[in-house]
Amino acid sequence: MAERADDRLVRLLGLVAFLDGAGPVRVEELAERFGVTPRQVREDVDALWVSGTPGYMPDDLIDFDAFSLDGGLVSITQTRGMTRPLRLGTREAVALVAALRAMHASPAVQADRRRAGVVASALDKLSAATGEAASAVDVELAGEGDPQVVAAVTEALSAGRRLHLRYVNAADVTSERDVDPARLVTQDGAMYLVAWCLRAGGRRTFRLDRVLAARVLDDAAADHGLAAEGADEDVWASVADARAPSATLVLASAARWVAEEVPAESVRDLPDGSVEVRLRVTNPAWLRRLLLANAPDVVSVSPPQVAEEVAALARDALAAYGRTANP
Amino acid sequence: MPANPDPAAARGTPPAERLLNLVIALVNTSAAMTKQQVRSGVNGYGDAPSTEAFERMFERDKDTLRALGIPIVTVDAGGHSDDVGYRIDNDAYALGPVDLTPAELGVVALAAQLWSDKTLRTDMSRAMTKLRAAGAGEAAGDAVAGLAPRVRAAGDAYVPLLEAVSERRDVSFRYRAASTGEVLTRHVEPWRIAARGSGWYLVGFDRGRGAPRVFRLSRIVGRVKVGTRPDAFDVPARVDVDAMLGERVGVRRVATLAVVPERAQALRARATAPEPAAGRGAEPVPAPRPDGREEVRVQFRSLSSFADEVAAYGPAVVVEEPADLRGEVVRRLVAAAGIDRAQAAHGTAGTPTQAGTPTREGSDG
Repeated sequence: MAERADDRLVRLLGLVAFLDGAGPVRVEELAERFGVTPRQVREDVDALWVSGTPGYMPDDLIDFDAFSLDGGLVSITQTRGMTRPLRLGTREAVALVAALRAMHASPAVQADRRRAGVVASALDKLSAATGEAASAVDVELAGEGDPQVVAAVTEALSAGRRLHLRYVNAADVTSERDVDPARLVTQDGAMYLVAWCLRAGGRRTFRLDRVLAARVLDDAAADHGLAAEGADEDVWASVADARAPSATLVLASAARWVAEEVPAESVRDLPDGSVEVRLRVTNPAWLRRLLLANAPDVVSVSPPQVAEEVAALARDALAAYGRTANP
Repeated sequence: MPANPDPAAARGTPPAERLLNLVIALVNTSAAMTKQQVRSGVNGYGDAPSTEAFERMFERDKDTLRALGIPIVTVDAGGHSDDVGYRIDNDAYALGPVDLTPAELGVVALAAQLWSDKTLRTDMSRAMTKLRAAGAGEAAGDAVAGLAPRVRAAGDAYVPLLEAVSERRDVSFRYRAASTGEVLTRHVEPWRIAARGSGWYLVGFDRGRGAPRVFRLSRIVGRVKVGTRPDAFDVPARVDVDAMLGERVGVRRVATLAVVPERAQALRARATAPEPAAGRGAEPVPAPRPDGREEVRVQFRSLSSFADEVAAYGPAVVVEEPADLRGEVVRRLVAAAGIDRAQAAHGTAGTPTQAGTPTREGSDG
């Protein structure tokens, strides 16, 4: 796909501003800094070379040292006054400052004083430079977590150490295991530790509020290649899997939030205001818990076995209330 | 914009280079350039086949530059519209000095990855290009090693709403009510956009209702219409987003639960001791009961969300106190016990739903 003209313009101007006073810079270094290929850098230099002020005579143009460029070095000799870096647009500044504020307030950052300090100083410098009040957008990342667990997990991540976890899963089964942590993901108001589980011999995602205890071990964490999964990963991937069995729920409008917060395969508005949600569920215990909690707003469930299992659990629970009812 | 075919591109000068030449020309011009001077003098504009095509191209380029934070100012040289000149003020577009350390740039780069919307991701990569051009050193990520903060995509409503909030323009949109599923048009003075949990919200003054309201962005149906007049209303000096979203810091209460041994460990991890803790780090010991269950005391704030959590444990957890929590859990279980009969009647069987009835929060039960 062709690059957008405005994105390229920002880089072209950025290159001139950066190169001004920077001395000769290697093509590869520029490519890495601006996140493009070395070939693109050379194309950008070629474009800059023929750009300038009207008239476009040699003295009007942005100019480079051709000899250096043959040796793979970019050295600017005439900038035509384009030496000032571009300021951030309103949308850019608002989004960046809101993200930094949210990070600064998050438990994962607050768990480490040095880390909180770096985020605070970055936020201060950026707010000062952009001059944006930036209060238009207000983002809060995950809520509460056991401070000791958060501290242990973040320490293990920054020191590259193995962790021992006591964990209770969605089926309410507790286990002990050693894991090599890869990263701490904050998503949908909760924190998740993505790690290599040595007991399971595979990648696992642990919800931090179900980590009962975490201890940093002396062993170094091994690299299992989990860091390279990219920014678009979704922790729900461990719950929703295209090969997993599907379930269809019809929910009253009051439980519409369920459709908005679970990894739905499809969501359909029905004429009476209710909503039909199709899910793929790898973990049946998770679905049973969801249905127990939201039963008053569940209109129907399929497949029927799921409904039968939930109903049986609920009847057992009601019996327990009968047994333990206050006189 | 990128989707539009650019007539000049086919003829030679790529749009990015035309924009570049326009910026360089308008920064370097001694006073200002007229449209005619731009057309005849700036590389790329001579490609326009007609005056209309040139006008469209120039207007679009001005919009593009404004969106990038490079405002073109109009200089009125004389009485005639032909004499209107354009230039760019260096000071208006320059980034103030940002002397980010490598560690700070690493933090900013991580913050830039927070967003998952395509629009916002484009904005963020552009912002990073600008910051890197400002000469900041190499980004160092070790200060924030392993952190991956993410916010769910805000959707199409975000960009127009942000513009409206920033410029204090009123908005109108079609909105699906949670209680009834009905879609109605709402006229709103937008104050703030907020992300909490997995949801995006608009906080503002609902003109139709004559009161402050909260809207979930995912329930906005279709496009957001932004009013033409800026500064159309005042935003209160203090907007307490959390209070409006109903997450106010309510009274903390303690629930007494009867839990099957070994079960509900996630709840037990939050247990409080029956009496003030004997010493720091002392684990609260569950008190055994005649029925074989163990008594666990847990603090909670939101009645409805704690009832959800407890009901999800089914028979493993029974609420002893308080009575309102017990009632809320039993209400969920009664509905769940009939859930296998629900589909036959498709919603007419089972308990009547309490749609739209807000649960009392933090009451003294």
